[in-house]
Amino acid sequence: MNKPSTAAALAFALGTSLALATASAQAGEMKDTMKDAKDMESMEKCFGVALKGKNDCKAGAGTSCAGTSKIDYQGNAWSLVPEGTCAETASPTSPTGFGQLEAFEEISS
Amino acid sequence: MKTSITSESLSCGAPAQAAQAALAELPVRAGASLKPDHFQYILNHLPDIGFFEIHAENYLVDGGPFHHYLTRIRERYALSIHGVGLSIGGESPLDLQHLDRLADLIDRYAPAVFSEHLAWSGHAGFFLNDLLPLPYHRATLQRVCDHVDQVQNRLKRRLLLENPATYVEFSSSNITETDFIIEILQRTGCGLLLDINNVYVSSTNHIRDPRAYIDALPPGTVGQIHLAGFSQEQDGAGAPLLIDSHDAPVAAAVWDLYDYALCRFGPVPTLIERDGNIPPFEVLQAEVRLADERLNSDALRGRRS
Amino acid sequence: MSEQDDFVTALLDPEAPLPRDLATWNGSDPATRFAVYRNNVTVSLIDALADTYPVTQTLVGERFFRAMARLFVQKTLPQSPVMSRYGAAFPAFIADFEPAGSVPYLADMARLEQLRTQACHCADAAPLSTARLTQLLSDTQTLPQQRVALHPSAQLIRSDYAVVSLWAAHQDLAELHRVNPCTPEQALIVRPGLDVEVIPIDPAMYRFLEQLLGAASLGRALEDTCLTHPDFDLVAALGLLIQRGLIVDLPLETTT
Repeated sequence: MNKPSTAAALAFALGTSLALATASAQAGEMKDTMKDAKDMESMEKCFGVALKGKNDCKAGAGTSCAGTSKIDYQGNAWSLVPEGTCAETASPTSPTGFGQLEAFEEISS
Repeated sequence: MKTSITSESLSCGAPAQAAQAALAELPVRAGASLKPDHFQYILNHLPDIGFFEIHAENYLVDGGPFHHYLTRIRERYALSIHGVGLSIGGESPLDLQHLDRLADLIDRYAPAVFSEHLAWSGHAGFFLNDLLPLPYHRATLQRVCDHVDQVQNRLKRRLLLENPATYVEFSSSNITETDFIIEILQRTGCGLLLDINNVYVSSTNHIRDPRAYIDALPPGTVGQIHLAGFSQEQDGAGAPLLIDSHDAPVAAAVWDLYDYALCRFGPVPTLIERDGNIPPFEVLQAEVRLADERLNSDALRGRRS
Repeated sequence: MSEQDDFVTALLDPEAPLPRDLATWNGSDPATRFAVYRNNVTVSLIDALADTYPVTQTLVGERFFRAMARLFVQKTLPQSPVMSRYGAAFPAFIADFEPAGSVPYLADMARLEQLRTQACHCADAAPLSTARLTQLLSDTQTLPQQRVALHPSAQLIRSDYAVVSLWAAHQDLAELHRVNPCTPEQALIVRPGLDVEVIPIDPAMYRFLEQLLGAASLGRALEDTCLTHPDFDLVAALGLLIQRGLIVDLPLETTT
């Protein structure tokens, strides 16, 4: 059971969305039109660009029939410190970001 | 013991082998591994190349870019499909679901060749993602033949089985690798995918004569040839240990052995395999041309049917 | 134990004895040669994880990532030769992996990357035409009962951390140092064509799409979303779905 207003809201929203889609397809300027209409573009405003994955056709691992001469070093994750970009990220509790040595000493002690 | 010959020293006077041509449904030319890095280049430039080869397991997905590009490339090129996951040498029963998926993939893309390895890669429901070696004796021979029969019956086509690159041997082995392979070919009717790099790598690793290996194989059984690059390590005693790494150009010694094999088997569709350090397509294509030149050499002319 | 049982045990555990059957032509210790297989298995599986989780690796650095992946590989072998499926349990492993605890968003980043790979290889589906969707307007009374099937690749992610912005920053789409990682974020991950898209969405949109993906009717999804998010922008939501071609079917509502 739906409220009568639900049907009306859906009809209005669907009609508006379709009209915008048709208009933008005709204008060939989909994004500008949609931006005016406070559409999904606004949800991406924090990045300024539509997010698109890179190198998608490589996504995930593939199989190979080759061997490797790369030797897996016997690194012990329990004694290693993350040394990647996590340290560049601001952290509210620490000016130097996440992934600090202190945190690991705490865990290993 | 490394052997080397120059192409001038080759003399191939034997008559053309009709059986060889009948086996080879791929064009008797050189082809290349199909890599996602090159999908777009290939469709944009349509390079002149004999065929492409894919690893089946990379395409056992429901949809997306892999199928999109392969469909378009298949419309324009001959294709061979190379499996890495059937574990034909495994003690465990074949994964029937995997075999069904392979059958679907083969139906969809109608490759000229489907090949797999004389090796095992799965055990007790787990996949190890490497081609592991097996000892050569009566029991393993029976197991491999049973699995090859099962695959050929399910896929309703002839399988090409690839000789392995190995790093260890087994004290329980009492059949040579070539005799083992010949017996499989005779019992199951499958063909041989002769990986020249694997012959060279295994021969070096176990101090065998790579030419004797080629000489031991009967003409008329080789449906396809693989060429690839290896890398070099050392074993526990400092002896050379070659790794079948597919991440480098084909080595000079392997080209020499290729010439020697062509002399014995006649021209055979030949793949330049590359799985790591993928170069721009033009670089790979230049290597493919080197193989084409050898396939078209004067020494082999007249042996093409 | 069979021969291959022994072989596998030795492959995965460097402390386990080598298979007894190994032989070398020069009598050298087979351990060095056997190590090639150990490396092939372990390195190829770690490489597989690195392929699927590139940003996760960048966040903690290659050394840490590979050491962590190695522990995962040792307890989680693939169960299928289709390697693009391998490592689906890696995000959960990271969530429980104490040394990664100082990067609290690491597991969610892995989850985002896992969903991207899944979306990449998911089944294809063509979007419904706007003409077909326009037909729905001919009977607006039944519109609330209408269900919409979204593209099969569509999946949602929600995190207490800014994993969507952090992921974008690693695609050069945002500046890393400007991201406050402690901001909750949501995204729709979908592959309507060949490219996987990571579309940031607000909590209301998340709720609405969650309902649709759970096969709720349009009316039910709207009412449910408005209960918790009175400011929900339905025009924007349907605009997104239509504009990106994410509606692929209109199944009939079987229950009311």
